[in-house]
Formats: sequence, C-alpha cells, structure tokens
Amino acid sequence: MTHERTEPPRGSDDAPSIANLDVVALALRLTVLALMLRPIGDWMLRPTILGLAASVLIFPSLLLNPKLWGTLTALTGLRVAVEWQLADNHAYLLCYWCLAVTLALVSRDPRACLALNGRLLIGWAFAFATLWKLLSPDYLDGRFFRVTLLIDPRFAGFAQLAGGLAPEQFEDLSVFVRQHIDVPSLDLPQPPVEPQRFRWLAWMLTWWTVGIEGITAAAFLWPVDRGISRLRHILLLVFCATTYAVATVAGFGWLLLAMGVAQCDVRYHLFPSWYLLAFGLILLYRDLPWAEWLLRFFSVG
Amino acid sequence: MTLMRSPWFWYVPSLLLCLVAANQQRLVSITALSPWAGGGFGMFSTAEMRGNRHLHAFALRPDIRRELAIPASLYRQVQQVLAFPSEAALRALAMKLAEIPTPDSGPVAAIEIQVWAVRFARETLQPSGVLLQALEVAIDSRENRAAEG
Repeated sequence: MTHERTEPPRGSDDAPSIANLDVVALALRLTVLALMLRPIGDWMLRPTILGLAASVLIFPSLLLNPKLWGTLTALTGLRVAVEWQLADNHAYLLCYWCLAVTLALVSRDPRACLALNGRLLIGWAFAFATLWKLLSPDYLDGRFFRVTLLIDPRFAGFAQLAGGLAPEQFEDLSVFVRQHIDVPSLDLPQPPVEPQRFRWLAWMLTWWTVGIEGITAAAFLWPVDRGISRLRHILLLVFCATTYAVATVAGFGWLLLAMGVAQCDVRYHLFPSWYLLAFGLILLYRDLPWAEWLLRFFSVG
Repeated sequence: MTLMRSPWFWYVPSLLLCLVAANQQRLVSITALSPWAGGGFGMFSTAEMRGNRHLHAFALRPDIRRELAIPASLYRQVQQVLAFPSEAALRALAMKLAEIPTPDSGPVAAIEIQVWAVRFARETLQPSGVLLQALEVAIDSRENRAAEG
C-alpha cells in the first residue's frame, strides 16, 4: 500500500489564515474542541478527559504531544471497554481517531498518516452504517423513521414541521406507538391515521440517509483523487449540514469534520474554511431549537 | 508529489474498526445484542434499540410469583442487559434482584427475568411485545441468608 507524500499548504510561510493553517493542527484542535463542547465519559473519566482537553488550550504545545493523545486513546478506550454494550458508535470512533492521532504524531509523515486514517475511518464507518440499513427490513420499509419521528424527542419539532402534523395528531400517534403491550389482545385501540405527508417524510428520510451514507462511504474508500473520491469533502459536508440539523448528535458530527479536515491537502485548500463553518453550524443546530421556532412561527402565522 | 509505502501500523485504527464492527454483526446474528450497540455502526438503522426494550423480573417462592419493582440503583446494569441480554448478564442481574425485599415470607427460590422488545406493525405501527430472552435463576438459600444479613 502506498500514500502520496504530502506537501505543506500553499503559502504556508505567509501570515496565518484558515487556508494556511496546518491541517493536522486544525484537525487536532477541532477534536479537542469537540471533547470540550460535548464532554464524554462517566463521573470518573469525564473530568480527566476534559482536563486533558482543556490543558491543550492553556499549553498549546501539548497539541502535538503524542503522550497526551496516547493518554486520550487509553481513556476513550477504557470508556468503551467498561460499558461496551452502552457506548455509542461515536465513542468507538473517537477511540480509533485518538489512536490514529497518536500514531500520526509518532510517524515520519503525520499529515499523510492522519489523512489516510481520517479517510479510512470515515469510509468504513459509513460503509457499515449503510450495510446495517440495507440489512434491516424495518428500515427499508420506512418504519424506522415513522417510529423514531414519533418517539424520539429530538425529532419532535421537525416531525411536526416537515411531516405536517398538528400538535394533537402528533400526540395521538406518539401515545399510540408508545403503548406498552407484551401480550397481544383483541381489545387494542384503533390506530390513528398517519397523514400522507408524514409517510412521505419518513420515506424521503429513509432513502436520503442510506443514499448519502452509501455514496459517502464509496467516495472515502475509493482510490484517492480518482472518480468519486474527488467529491468526498463535498459529500461529507452535505451529510453533516443536513443530518445534524435533524439528528442532534453533535459529537459525532464534529468528530467526522475533524477527520475530514485532516485530508485537506493543497488541492483542497479552500475546504478547511467550509469544515469550520460546518462545525459552527452543528453547534447552532445543537443549541438553537430552530424547528420549534419555525413551528411556532408558522402556527402563529 | 512522491509515492511512498505506508507503514503497516498506519492501518491499525481502521483494521480495529472493521474487526469490532464485523464481530458486532456476528453477535447480533447469533445473540440478542441490539444492532445499535457494540460499535458496529447500526445506530439509526432499526427501531430495535435499547429504548424499545424492557424487562420484567419476578421473585419466585413456592406458590408465589411476585413481579419486582427494579430499583433506580440498578439502572446501568438493567440498560446493559437490555442492550445485550446474555445469560451471564441476566444471571448477574438476578443475583442483585434477589436482594430486593418483598412482602412475602421465606427465602426466594429463583428469580425470573424476561427481556422484551417492541416491534411495530408495518401498516399501522401497532406496537407488540416479542420475548427476546428469558431466564430463571435458582437462588442459593445461603446467598439469601447472606443478603438478609
């Protein structure tokens, strides 16, 4: 296996600008920022991980210290190992990424090592996510999104706004799918009618999600700078800008962006700015209840 | 630009990802591990998630079968069982549940745990329960005495 030896970005001797920032440092800063904005771990691990991330702010020279990243790898790995059944997928991904950073910082070409790992980790994570969706009958027939839009509070505003559900309709459907029924009974309540627009929304989310994830996986696993690989940054940015507006899993989004920015060599020197914008956008998605605001605006109007 | 050979250790993180994800696929197919859990990137792929699972636990004495209210202190352990209801996890939880006092007299003979998943009908989304795993764990009377002590 080979990689292209990377060159520093154009004009790297000039005054610092986003385009000139070393993408390794930028990727690491975004990772640290993500750890601080979305602290992880239980009461024991959280202060340690948060403390290590904060120490990079106070002592910037620690940013490229492999020992710090080795410790973060061990701590994020411990978090996964202790409760592997409960750890979210991005807890695993964070651990692999911290390991990749550690390996990059001890290798002869940190930039190429980190770029390769960012590309493969995103590619394989998206490939497995796509595979799971294609293997799940209740995903392919739209049931997953029909149920999730009704029972996951993070989707409630969006479900009403985009699905055209009046508050009482949403409530009826939500109560219906939350019923606790172990043993089938003949005395079941009549199912409320799902509006056609709501079904269309679920159908569209189903195929948009599996489509964008599948094509992003292909773009990141394709040989670099051939065919669809050239679109990988755009696809990842589109994925993050659309997915995290609805599914507010900010930590996952920020991690993907840190991995993506690590691959921005001279040919993609404009993309770091877009990655930073996307990072900010996910922060806004997380902290601003935009769907509820729009819902209120339209209901008042 | 120069083409260089990448050292083998650069591939360790992605190799780990693939091994863990492949093992998760295997575990889901042969056990009741939730596709959302275990690092296989199955989140948002099925309604078969931990939040759509629940369990019932019963303390069994001769002629008495009493459902137990699960204390909040066992929350994490219960969540682990819901995500991966293996026999070992059910046994460990049963031992903790055997320590819960009930109004019934006499030692607990066994603890029965049932793990249920909610499935949704394709047309109507009518939820229904499916028994995923059930286990009856005999409780040693010496352990009962120790628990009471």
